[in-house]
Amino acid sequence: MSFANFLDYHHFPVYSIMVLFLGAFLIVLFGKNKFMRNLLAFLAVSISLACIVALVKPVMLDGEIIAYWMGNRAVAGGYAIGIALEVDALSLFFALLISTAVFVSGIYSLQYMEHDNNVPEYYTLFLMLSGGVIGLVLSGDIFNMFIMVEILTFAAVALTAFRNKAHGALEAAFKYLVVGCIGSTCILVGIIMLYAQAHTLNFAQLSAVIPGNMNNATKLAFALLFVGFGTKAFIVPFHPLAADAHGAAPASISVLISGVLTKSGIYGLIRLTYFLFQTMNLGTFQFLLVFIGSVSMFVCVTMALAQHDFKRLLAFHSISQIGYVLAAVGLCTGLGFSAGLYHAMNHTLFKGLLFLCAGAVLHQTGTTNLDELGGLSKKMPWTTGLFLVGAFSISGLPPFNGFASKWMVYQAAYQKASETGNIGFLFVTLIALVTSVLTLASFVKVSQSVFFGRLPAKYENVKEVKGGMIFAMCLFAILCVVTGLFPSAVTKYLTEPAARAVFSVVNYIDAAMGTGYAASAMGENLPVVASFNFNELGYWSPISWLLILCIALLAVTIVAVSGKYDKVSESSEIADSKYDLFFGGEKSVYSQVGGGDLFWGFKHNWRHYFSFMHDLHSGIVNDYSLWAIVALAIVTLFIQIVL
Amino acid sequence: MMTIVLTALQYLGYILIFPGFLFCFVIGMLLCGIDRKIVARMQKRVGPPVLQPFYDFFKLCGKETIIPAAASKTTFLAAPLVGLAALVVLQLFIPIHGFSAFSGMADIIVILYLLLIPAMAAMLGGAASGSPYAGIGLSREMVTIIACELPLVMVLLAVGKVVGGDAVTFSFSKIANYQLANGSLITHASLIPAAIAMLLIIPGETGNHPFDTAEAETEICEGLLAEYSGAPLAVYKLTHCVKVLTLTSFFAALFLGGIGTGIVVVDALILVAICIVLTIVSISFVHAITARLKIEQVFKFYWTIVTGLALISLVLAWYGL
Amino acid sequence: MIMFNYIASFFLIALGFYTIITKYNLVKTVIGLSIADYGVNLLIISVGYNPGGTAPIYTLGELTSASYFVDPIPQALTLTSIVIGACVTAMSLSLVMKLHESYGTLDTREIRRLRG
Repeated sequence: MSFANFLDYHHFPVYSIMVLFLGAFLIVLFGKNKFMRNLLAFLAVSISLACIVALVKPVMLDGEIIAYWMGNRAVAGGYAIGIALEVDALSLFFALLISTAVFVSGIYSLQYMEHDNNVPEYYTLFLMLSGGVIGLVLSGDIFNMFIMVEILTFAAVALTAFRNKAHGALEAAFKYLVVGCIGSTCILVGIIMLYAQAHTLNFAQLSAVIPGNMNNATKLAFALLFVGFGTKAFIVPFHPLAADAHGAAPASISVLISGVLTKSGIYGLIRLTYFLFQTMNLGTFQFLLVFIGSVSMFVCVTMALAQHDFKRLLAFHSISQIGYVLAAVGLCTGLGFSAGLYHAMNHTLFKGLLFLCAGAVLHQTGTTNLDELGGLSKKMPWTTGLFLVGAFSISGLPPFNGFASKWMVYQAAYQKASETGNIGFLFVTLIALVTSVLTLASFVKVSQSVFFGRLPAKYENVKEVKGGMIFAMCLFAILCVVTGLFPSAVTKYLTEPAARAVFSVVNYIDAAMGTGYAASAMGENLPVVASFNFNELGYWSPISWLLILCIALLAVTIVAVSGKYDKVSESSEIADSKYDLFFGGEKSVYSQVGGGDLFWGFKHNWRHYFSFMHDLHSGIVNDYSLWAIVALAIVTLFIQIVL
Repeated sequence: MMTIVLTALQYLGYILIFPGFLFCFVIGMLLCGIDRKIVARMQKRVGPPVLQPFYDFFKLCGKETIIPAAASKTTFLAAPLVGLAALVVLQLFIPIHGFSAFSGMADIIVILYLLLIPAMAAMLGGAASGSPYAGIGLSREMVTIIACELPLVMVLLAVGKVVGGDAVTFSFSKIANYQLANGSLITHASLIPAAIAMLLIIPGETGNHPFDTAEAETEICEGLLAEYSGAPLAVYKLTHCVKVLTLTSFFAALFLGGIGTGIVVVDALILVAICIVLTIVSISFVHAITARLKIEQVFKFYWTIVTGLALISLVLAWYGL
Repeated sequence: MIMFNYIASFFLIALGFYTIITKYNLVKTVIGLSIADYGVNLLIISVGYNPGGTAPIYTLGELTSASYFVDPIPQALTLTSIVIGACVTAMSLSLVMKLHESYGTLDTREIRRLRG
């Protein structure tokens, strides 16, 4: 094999996975040395990212679907006997998100984790987790997907418990392990039942064989797989696990759990519902996805409003945003897929940024309790600024990226409502819009309780975090702004190819199994490609909008400055020390409104709901397991009835 | 080259003079002056002169700005400017009869979010001051926004449905064109509850009586503005006035479009007249006859009565009545 | 005969889930996970079973179309599954140990600092 052959891009999917696992093993061997360890970790994540980025041109732009057979064991006698990696635009889209998040999180870890014990083990698990997720999205073999799910679940559990002295870390890890294992068991049983029916494990071949041969066993398999991947995406009713795990894990891992693990769950659900079982045109199934999405959106945002912990609050928001993604994807329109994938990407970016900010606060102050913190903006100006970028992005304020994708979600849901005449989709738009405002509310709460407000005396000596961490946060922030400013480019080059891939199941099957296989295997069941248009992508042009805003801001500033705006004096110059703290009152009467009580007027009206939800999230692992089993029962019944 | 310069100048004119900054400044202040006068007359007071907001503004601009020691200086000073700029941009997107400074870009969702920016800026500025009054003010401001948002969204969706028919629209220019062709939307029976809801939303969004819990100067010293003085305070006062103009002209564009001549100057005057009437109806009258509500009452009011009205409209519009 | 295997495997999985839901002792929860895992293993093996088939061990050239053997893939899968099951047990037991150290109890009803 010549060197040029070695650099053929068809091998890149394998490299991008292998290099991470290889890095994990090498760190076990050579990780005692700090420099070696950091170098290996950095090399692993950056080579993986480079391999994925190099695939953008052939897969995204030229529309090639790479089917790679391990050991060249390709299809024989109409059966896929080898282990396949299959990369279409959808896989690559998720791989791109994941490797970006892994890369940034890796850079952040270099300084964030340096004071912890057992750092080599941390990097080993970190790289195992990353490799597992990338392996999951690039895999073309359903059993390999299961293996990858297990690898990433174990790595995630271990990393959740990594700081086992931290509040609740062990507990969170245990709950995650138990419910995660219930999910994995469901996936495995589902896979085996599919194997019993179709005698293949190749995803493409299953997609060709299964939809035409639905029986009770495959329906049960569908339900099991759906719930299994649902636990990985942490959709309602599995959201308490996400909240616990995020809150306890180191911030760099929370980035991966929220930006990467949930994405892998969403990826699994998309592959499952639209490829394996091809429920694209089933109105009832659209209802299921959109319903779960809307419920996740709303329940988690209200739970977030009631939280007292920075990272736990972010965790609930994470699931709330996943709700947007799921609801948009469930609409089954071109715009819906575009919107959902765009939002998935944005979610990775802004939620990553927010978790890194939370990590910076934790790193410098030692707590993420909203009731204890305050006034950090004077001590940590960079973190504050970057946090605000993330907060504006997630709340969807223009011109940040959250706005662009949320706009598409609203438009997609509303259009779907008017096309189908179903008023239910209208309420999806409503819930999405209200959720967006509630999101804004809870980030106002965070900025008031952490970055603004009064600085407690014990944090007088807090310093800004080191440059490497700021650099990592800046990467995410820049990406947030860029993807917000160029929505048309993002949709054209990233989300639209990925959305098209969802509509072209036949190509996916043929790429792996040989041209014409889908037609011969599926006969008259060949999926009709749903009509889709990407026309309504909007007249929203952030650049010109930003230009106007800048000019207006400039004008206002000039007028303001000419009006003695700059004639300021700080109150510390005033001799009387009783005005030290603030102008409109005295130090002795100061009491800050606690983060949890900030939105009293809202909570008072909803007090029954909030106390009900509080009781419901009891923290007992048996309850959460029960929810999982009940969800499995409901989904099974639903699928038996509608399919 | 010449044409590019001219176009640039034209747009600069839009932004700075009409319907941008200067227009907002003058008309907004005027609306507030009229409001104060009317309320005073209804309460059998003489009231300030109509130009009083102008006097206040210039007086405040000349005063010293004091920054509390606990405040984050940059955010504290930048917040009012961002809020004002966002509102001026919002005003640029609202079509005046057939005329729209930046046609094609306006979208009711964009406007919905642009409306959030001034409030967001005020909240961050207040939070940055570090004052506990601002903390309470922030809490109430946010709850008021949440309260207003649900009915506002419903109103907008109802309008979009009526205008777009089966191809529902979020586009503002389509709404304007529809009204040019078919007359004002207020004549549409299904949208009358929505219009009433919108009239009730205006005082909530602008923070006027009885929904001014966030400022409540008698109990929490103007809340978010407690620490502000001098020029930044003047900018906040101006922002409030512009918000009155923006929301009333937003109402006019949504429900009273199609009234006009096609001559921009005349249309602008008509718009100003409409805005004055709307200000008097939705802000002054309500102000004069009500006392300030508690924050949980504000929330309840909006999520029951106003949302109910908007929902009626939405359902009626949905089934094409 | 093979039907009995299927019923037994689903019974085991259900029993495992039942244990996880109803038992408040962490160790019993881990046992529940293991039971469910054994159920899955039994299911996988049963799926690949062909009555009367021989062991799927052939060298190149021996394999003819007349060969009748049990499906080898599920056996390979079972091995993987067993390994994963062992990992789950090891990991969860180590967590249980640590939990007992820091909480002083194994009752799930008392291990709920994270809630609401």
